[in-house]
Amino acid sequence: MLDQLSNQLDSYLTLVSQRQKLVASNIANADTPGYKTKDIDFEAQLHAALQTGGANPSPSAITVPGLRVKNDGNNVDLDRESRLLSENAMRFNMATQFLRANLKDLHTAISGGAGA
Amino acid sequence: MSLFDSISVSASGLTAQRQRAEVLVENIANADTTRTAGGGPYRRKDVVFESQSTGEPFSSVLQNQMDDQPKGVAISQIVTDQSEPDKRYMPGHPDADKDGYVAFPKVNPAEDMVDLMGASRAYQANVSAISAVKDMISRSMDLFH
Repeated sequence: MLDQLSNQLDSYLTLVSQRQKLVASNIANADTPGYKTKDIDFEAQLHAALQTGGANPSPSAITVPGLRVKNDGNNVDLDRESRLLSENAMRFNMATQFLRANLKDLHTAISGGAGA
Repeated sequence: MSLFDSISVSASGLTAQRQRAEVLVENIANADTTRTAGGGPYRRKDVVFESQSTGEPFSSVLQNQMDDQPKGVAISQIVTDQSEPDKRYMPGHPDADKDGYVAFPKVNPAEDMVDLMGASRAYQANVSAISAVKDMISRSMDLFH
């Protein structure tokens, strides 16, 4: 995008929205027999995105270990998913606030301080 | 792959849970039905969920090629309970057999009510997911204000 910081924020936002999609998928499949909870390795993906300068458009999903498997083979924990749902929304909000401030600075520079 | 896809995934959850609630309500409504078009008492129905990719035909074909993509949910089939119906001794009943027993559906209203609560909670969870994603989308649109 514009500079390194906004590039990094862009990768971060992409990763958060990818993770949010997996959370939505887990919630939708909360009653599907045999379905296993999916997630992305957020830290590792973010690290890789910051190294390469862009988020992987299709990161590999991992199945989350350590969750209790129900009798029908499903291991979706709705508490975990709702926590991640709000956590992702908050992370996304935070990153958009940063990006907004960054864009505002740029706007100030363009308008010679008049638009500040 | 965008935030809008997350909404499709959650929407598939809404559809599936609503259909499940419809089947459960049908079971409760017919808990005492002794006569059906196919003959015999009403038989309890149950839904089977299956994860399924959502979205456009092209992207779903592409997604099937790539493993582990987020998936929505759909009802793969509705199964009918084939177990023996309950027999109750009611000689005066028009549907009684020659020994005076009437076949009643094997529906346990308590079980269906609990399932219905589960469907309702799962529906709520999907609605929360949609509003969280909707909020994220509007935040990203607010970026340029």
